[in-house]
Amino acid sequence: MSEEDANPNAKDANPSSSEALVGSDLFGRWEQLRGREGTVVGLTAIFVAVFPWLFARAPVVSDFLQGYQSLATLILIWGIFAIGFDLLLGYTGLLSFGHAAFWGGAAYASGIVAKNISGDPIVMVVSGTLFAILLAWLLGFLSLRRGGIYFSILTLAFAQMMYFMAASPLAFLTNGENGLTGVDVGNLFGVIHLEADIPSIGGMLLGTWLYAFVGFIFVAAVAVAYRILNSPYGMVFRAIRENEQRAEFVGLNVWRYKLMAFIISGAFAGIAGSLFTIHGAYVPLQSLFWTESGDIVVMTVLGGAGSMFGPVLGVGVYLYIENIVSTVQALTIPFTDIVLIKDFGFYWHLLLGIVFVAVVWVVPDGLWGIIGRVRTFVSDRMGGER
Amino acid sequence: MSILSDIILILLNGLQQGAIYVLLAVGLSIILGTLKFVNFAHGALYLIGTYAGVFIALNISLSNGKLFEWGFTTFGLDLGFFAALVLVPILVFVVGLLMERFVARPFYDRPDTDQILVTFGLAIVVQELFRILFGSNSLPFDQPETILSFGSFAGIPVSGPVALPIVGNFPQWRLYVIGITAVLVALVYIMVEYTDFGLVVRAGTRDAEMVRLLGIKITRPYIVVFGIGAALAGVAGVVGGPLNVVNPTIGTNILVPAFLTVVIGGVGSIAGAVVGGIVFGLTTAALVSLAPAWSQVGLYAIAAIVLLTRPQGILGDEEVAP
Repeated sequence: MSEEDANPNAKDANPSSSEALVGSDLFGRWEQLRGREGTVVGLTAIFVAVFPWLFARAPVVSDFLQGYQSLATLILIWGIFAIGFDLLLGYTGLLSFGHAAFWGGAAYASGIVAKNISGDPIVMVVSGTLFAILLAWLLGFLSLRRGGIYFSILTLAFAQMMYFMAASPLAFLTNGENGLTGVDVGNLFGVIHLEADIPSIGGMLLGTWLYAFVGFIFVAAVAVAYRILNSPYGMVFRAIRENEQRAEFVGLNVWRYKLMAFIISGAFAGIAGSLFTIHGAYVPLQSLFWTESGDIVVMTVLGGAGSMFGPVLGVGVYLYIENIVSTVQALTIPFTDIVLIKDFGFYWHLLLGIVFVAVVWVVPDGLWGIIGRVRTFVSDRMGGER
Repeated sequence: MSILSDIILILLNGLQQGAIYVLLAVGLSIILGTLKFVNFAHGALYLIGTYAGVFIALNISLSNGKLFEWGFTTFGLDLGFFAALVLVPILVFVVGLLMERFVARPFYDRPDTDQILVTFGLAIVVQELFRILFGSNSLPFDQPETILSFGSFAGIPVSGPVALPIVGNFPQWRLYVIGITAVLVALVYIMVEYTDFGLVVRAGTRDAEMVRLLGIKITRPYIVVFGIGAALAGVAGVVGGPLNVVNPTIGTNILVPAFLTVVIGGVGSIAGAVVGGIVFGLTTAALVSLAPAWSQVGLYAIAAIVLLTRPQGILGDEEVAP
């Protein structure tokens, strides 16, 4: 069971539990708090604030993790993408293999806007996201006519069409195979240079203004997604996932909700795609290719589809393995020089593939599901009377 | 003269291009139609077929990848192309049997999305294994000069141009690809339509539970169907390898068009897969010579149009489609 499914229960937890023992009382209070939107958003903000410091600059921890600032930014950007994707896959039960169209499409749209109209980061994000929403509306309208595997294949086909459009017929706009180079990202609010470090304590924690900008949008995205998913509207998404026919019989317009879920998910992908352009000042043609759609599927499922933060965890694990584990020369037993596997980093993609297959096979609710089970185990021990 | 020869050239090239799609699509389609199993690892079987083909037919020198680092400088048995054409399908058939038994069977009762996910993951694993062993570079896989040459017998020449009426010279190998595909697909068609085995398979496609209730062990035909589908992908790898590049990404790259071929043709229909493959092949060939920039876009546009106007596929049967 995913964590969110438990939340409604956690909110109106039995008040008599407060009369229980002191130890379990604290735990019960936490159980009540953790379901609240304020808590979720607050904890996300705290996480975003300390993450780059822990990852890239903190003593001991960062030495062990070998992280760096730019990767922290990238993880949050893909995290936004994954939250949006999970809204569709995990909550509505639709597996799209074409989300690269929104990610890459928005990346191109914001890049083209930056080159031709304005390099203002906010203008870039807004235009990229608008483009993704319009595209998601169109593609969703076409793909959602078919369910099941046909939906997956249709989205895949449309996204590949976008890829090949960008590759040659539209090369005058997209610069074809070379990708969109020379994107000039302007200053935020006209004064803040995004690549610059934040002065004083903020700089120690967050690092660059770019990270702060991305982090702010990430927290906002979490808040919006949490609000949607815990609203009656989000409940309908889950109803459709569980039993589409029954939802239809109850009188819900399933088609409209599915289309809306697709568009919302496309909008998240669009925000992330635009930020990706701002982050790299470059749009690779690869960003529209279907392997990119595959990557977001792998990340989401690896972390745990159907939970709020599982996909973000999946993004972290994936990008960490892709960017840092892949540089490891040899896997040694910790604190010794005994080499277990030579050229360990070379095998990173194979490692990811094997882990992914194992997760799909054994724990369909992903790494977050494992954490959730450990949590349930502990809470059963702590607050037995719950 | 020139317009007619252009048209015939497009037709021939289209058929040859379509032949590879047909081989892959027939396998995918019978697996999807009969077993209701979505195999995103079908491209991986094509990949295995191609590399096995290189291994059996040729003896190439390696320059890259872990095999080279481990001291293997050459790779291959050098048995000739015909041997590859016979042995590779057998090998990939066995791979298919193992895959049905150990991957597909545990997933029959799970949702479509789980099947897609696990086979997609498997495709990544296979692709990465080949990348690690052979490096990311392309391997040389030349079109065979002759087949069936042994001892003093020079063999049947299959390479080089052949003079055709109207169009003039045409690469002979491409005609062989079309021929091999036609023969194999006809064999599968006869097996499914006119044998007792095929009867059970077709009955299982309609209503597997009923077949089981009638006392027929459906697991055996199922595993054979999976094996045949895999073997066809292996053949596609052998005959298609020399026409395209050979590197670890070919499996995932060919998967998307192959799947679209199945879907536009109609799931579970062999004739549909053939029609779908030919439509794709002709579209690609026509666009390559008329509007090269749009050649790939056209493929997907056609797929989208067919799916939106006739969702069950050109020759699809609404009852069979999952």
